Parts: sequence; C-alpha cells; structure tokens
Amino acid sequence: MKLFWGRAGAVARKEVFHILRDPFALAAALGLPVLMVIIFGISIEFNMKDIPLAVNDADQTRSSRMLLDRFASSGYFGIRRVVSPHQAVAELTDQKARAALVIPPDFESDLISGRQGQLQLLIDGSDNSTVGPVSNYVNRIVGAGAPALYDLRTRYLFNPELDSRWFVIPGLTVVIMAILSILLTALTIAREWENGSMELLLSTPVRPVELIVGKLAPYGVLGIIAIAFVYVIARAVFQIPFVGNLAVFGLGSLLFLITYLAQGLLISVVARNQQVAMQLAMVTGMLPSNLISGFIFPIESMPTFFQYLTMLLPARWFMRIARDTFLQGSGLIELKVPFLALTFLCFAMIFLATRKFKRDLEP
Amino acid sequence: MAEQAVIVRDLTVRFGDFTAVDRISFEVGRGEIFGFLGANGAGKTTTIRVLCGLLLPSEGFVRVAGTGFEQGDRAIKTKVGYMSQKFTLYNDLTVEENLSFIASLRKLGSNFYVERRKELLEFISFDRSLGTPVRDLPGGTKQQVSLAAALLHDPEVVFLDEPTAGVTPASRNLFWKLIRKLAASGKTVFVTTHYMDEAEQCGRIALMREGRIIALDTPEDLKRSVFPGAVFEFDPKTPLSFAEVAAIEHLDLFTFFEPYGLRFHAAIRDGEDWNRARPELECKFNIRRIKPSLEDVFIKTVEGKKR
Repeated sequence: MKLFWGRAGAVARKEVFHILRDPFALAAALGLPVLMVIIFGISIEFNMKDIPLAVNDADQTRSSRMLLDRFASSGYFGIRRVVSPHQAVAELTDQKARAALVIPPDFESDLISGRQGQLQLLIDGSDNSTVGPVSNYVNRIVGAGAPALYDLRTRYLFNPELDSRWFVIPGLTVVIMAILSILLTALTIAREWENGSMELLLSTPVRPVELIVGKLAPYGVLGIIAIAFVYVIARAVFQIPFVGNLAVFGLGSLLFLITYLAQGLLISVVARNQQVAMQLAMVTGMLPSNLISGFIFPIESMPTFFQYLTMLLPARWFMRIARDTFLQGSGLIELKVPFLALTFLCFAMIFLATRKFKRDLEP
Repeated sequence: MAEQAVIVRDLTVRFGDFTAVDRISFEVGRGEIFGFLGANGAGKTTTIRVLCGLLLPSEGFVRVAGTGFEQGDRAIKTKVGYMSQKFTLYNDLTVEENLSFIASLRKLGSNFYVERRKELLEFISFDRSLGTPVRDLPGGTKQQVSLAAALLHDPEVVFLDEPTAGVTPASRNLFWKLIRKLAASGKTVFVTTHYMDEAEQCGRIALMREGRIIALDTPEDLKRSVFPGAVFEFDPKTPLSFAEVAAIEHLDLFTFFEPYGLRFHAAIRDGEDWNRARPELECKFNIRRIKPSLEDVFIKTVEGKKR
C-alpha cells in the first residue's frame, strides 16, 4: 500500500506544481465560480416586478378604479392606460406590454346588481416564462377583491417570499461545480498526450490507477475550495439561508466533485487532445447539468424518457441534495436516494475512467 | 557476460491489418552502440517501444537486460532507460522537479537519487541551477537532461529514439561524446538516427525497411557488402541539365548513380565496360575513386530504387 501511495503522491505533487505554475488556470478555477454566482445571483430573477400591463378601463367607475389601484399598489405591474381594447392588443404586439386587462363598460353595474363582474386578461403567450407568474399575480389581486367563498390562506414553505435567488443559487453551485471539475481534469491527461510526457510516464513502472488517483487528488482539493467560496458568497452576499447540515452538504459536494472529476478524466483519456477534451467537457458537463438536471426546468414536467435519463446524471441528484440541504434542512435519511445514486455513479465513473485508461496504457 | 543485452527473435508487431514489424531477429551485445536506421515508418520506433515494455509483441521472443514480457512489462521498464523522440520532460517544472518526479515514479531511494543526480549532471556537464525551469534551457541541454532522466535508475540498456533530432551540430557532437562514454562504461546503447555521420559512430547498424531488417553489420562491412565493386565520384565540369543527368543515370554502366550534393556517386557494374566508357565521361566530369559513404549504403538499400 505504501508503494502505491508513493507514486500517486508523486503524481499529485507534480500536478500541484503544474497548477501553481499556471496562475491563469488557478485564477480561473477559483475566480470563475465566484464570478458566475455573482452574475447569476444578480441577473437571474424569476420574480417579476413592474410588468408592463396595458389597461383599457371602459367602465371608469369607483369599482374599476379600486381594482386598478390594487394592481398598481401590488408592485408587480406598471400600468399603461389605453383607450380601446384594440390598442391594448397593439401594445402587446409592439412588445410594449406583457399583458393587457380590459374592463368592460358595465363592470360596476354588474357588481351592484349582484352579477359577476366581467374582466378580460390578455397575456403574451410567446414568452412562456412570464405567463405563469403574470396569471398568478392577477388571480391573487383580483381574488383578494372578490367576496370569498372559501378562506384559502397560502403560505410558502422553505422560501416564504418566493425569492428566486433562494432557489437558483443552491442549484447554481451544482452547475458551476459540474463545469469546473470536468474541465479541470479533462485537460490534464490530454495535456500529457499532447506534450509527449505520456511517453515518459509510460516508460516508468507507474500504474494507471496511481496516475488517476494522483491526478484526482489535487483537483479535488481545488474543487472543494471553489465550493467553499461559492457557499460563502451565497450566504454572505445573497443572504441565502442554510438550514441543513453542513456535513451532509459537504459529503454530497465531495461525491459529486469526484464523480465529475472522474468523468473529466474519462474524457481526457478518450480525447487525447486538449481541444477535443474541452469540447466534450462542455457538451457532457455543462449542457446536461444546465438543462436536464432540474436546475431550470422541473424534472417532473419532462417527457417520461427524459425523466429516466436524468437518473444517470450526477447533477440531478446533487441538485436535490444542494437545494434540500440549503432550504429544507434535509438530512441523510431524507436524501438517501440521491446519496445512494450519487455514490453509485461516482464509483461507476472512476471504474470506467480507470478501465479505459488501463486499456490505453498497458502494452 | 553470459547473456547478450538484447535478444530479439522473430519479433512481429501488428496493428490490426498493418504489420509494423515483420519477423525481425537480432542480438545486441553489452556495451555496444547499436544503430537503427530506416525511413520513417520502417518500424524502428515500434521495435524500440516493444523493447522498452511500452508495446506488447504480437509474436516472437524478446529478452532485454535479462528480462522479458513473461515477467511483465513493468519488470522490463525497471531495467531499461528510454528516451523518446518527443521531448518528454515537463517544461513548466524545474530540472530538479522533473528528475525527482521520475525518481519517485521509479521508487529510487532518496540517497541513491541524490547521488545519481550529481553523477549524471556531472556526466552531462550541466552547469546551470537545478531550479531552472526546463523551458528556459537551450535545445541541446534539454536533450542532455532528457538523457540524464532516462539514465536515472542506472539501466543496463538505454534506448534513444532519434535523440539528436532538431538540435545544433555542436550539440549533436557533444551528445555523441556522451553516448560513447556511456558505452565505454559498459552500458548498452540502442539508438535510432537519420544522420549518417551519427550512424558511422555506431558499432553495428541495422537497416530497416517496411518492418524488416534488410542489413545488419558494422558500418565498414555494410559498405563493403552493399558496394562490392568500385565507387566513383563524378564532379561535373559544367552544370548539367536534367536530361543529361537522366541519360547518364540510365546508362547500363552503373548499379548505382545518385546525386551527392552537387556531385554524383556511382557504383559501376563491370570493369571492362567502365574502362571503355570512362574517357568519354571524363569530358564532362572530374572522376575520382572514393570509398562509399554510409549515405550511399542507406540510399541504395533503404530508399533504393530497384535496378
């Protein structure tokens, strides 16, 4: 065993020299995640404020004005008055408004005579992401004015103000770690092939597994430091609460990191060329963790095939772990499925990388 | 001195349908400088990679420094030194870091390593700081440090694959002094090269062509066996046109007629025919008898057109 660690240790030490000699790579490894969290944290905003709303109030009564007051004071909408329903539609087609509200002339008289007041809401359906929030806000505003049949009180658990940052940033740590770790290792072995130094390694009695472990270790440490950075920024800058157990989150991060570092190595072994490795890393690391990990689009609403496909994706499982430990305070018991799945994928990836590597290296 | 340093019998290496090395056999004695010549793709590097344990032979028997593949490729790797034709050290690491990395991979004891490093750096007359990054070294010094790296574990046999490609002539001379010193100290040196002046310095050379060894002997004996008859140098008195050269080339007088700089080297087929034709040729050329060069041997055998 001592023999084993000796060589792996030598490889690890050499990698540390490479990392330290390349200040740009080091800065990118640590700076990029921080930069991404800040940019995303500031720019991603699923909650909308001041949505331009075209309003045609043909009623012009106390009731209609009261209703519009509620719209205006909610903060969600910016009211743009128009003189006809046609003009309201024109505002939508000109992209000047996201939605239009039409109040017909007999709105108040209907209410007074005990009939239902008629309102028409037109929403720009070409931008799906706004439809949900807009109709949601409108229903809340309109509903609050109507005499209630039921006393429905809604409370949002784990994220009482529905702050989208709370939802996005824990997920973002997952995406960032996926890109970073896969890139870190994808280049290392490809670099050895390109530089010719692989010949040197091959001419010594080093074993493939010693190379793999030696290369994983220093990048693992670098990844952990990056995760810590991201965590601190999420907590300190964006005030994201962390109600779970830090050890559980840490364990999940470590598993996830190693899985993706190993995937990077696998890519590196297959590609043998830094440029191809880089592209493969982007395609297999960045795209799935962005698109089908549940980061933006909920897994439950994907076609069945994709729901199963995502199970092979480490990012999907770590996404759950990250969000649930941050916001819900889930422990290992509640997260046993994601943890088991992640552990399995981690070992599978190391196994694949080592096996492919062995085939390549052994004579 | 019971066993030869390298024994190869009927070695064949195939990559899929392609046979890179085709049933070659040879032996190299201890302390010998053994040269490997051949065009690119003739199978030199493939043979060396097998002998260094980097590639499994498809067929045949290989024994290097007393070990073979039956003891595993790692056993071979501990016995031989290998300097690839690519530059394999890490440019961003210092000389010391490179050497100590290799020492750790080879499990050399730290006392042994420090002693050996001192010895080798003296051997290559390395006069810079150990902390110099490899990228700052001149090309020739880089090659010498590569050699030191390949010798770090004190191997009995060392394989040098085009060690002097792309360095200055002065550095090449220096490097060959090192090779001769190595051989004098009892190491077996196995070297491939494209430079004929380097090949002249080998004890014996093997010429490879399309995966086979087509000739194997000392440089002198190779010249004798490839050119049994007289060889002449033709120095044109006036510049010749291509047509004139082609006409002479196709005379039945010669078994070999190739340009050599601005002159030509030719081997004659038959003494009597030659004596008859010579006066006419002497109008155009200054002709003198020479010893064939190794380049002539190489051109005739390795690149040679069929005559």
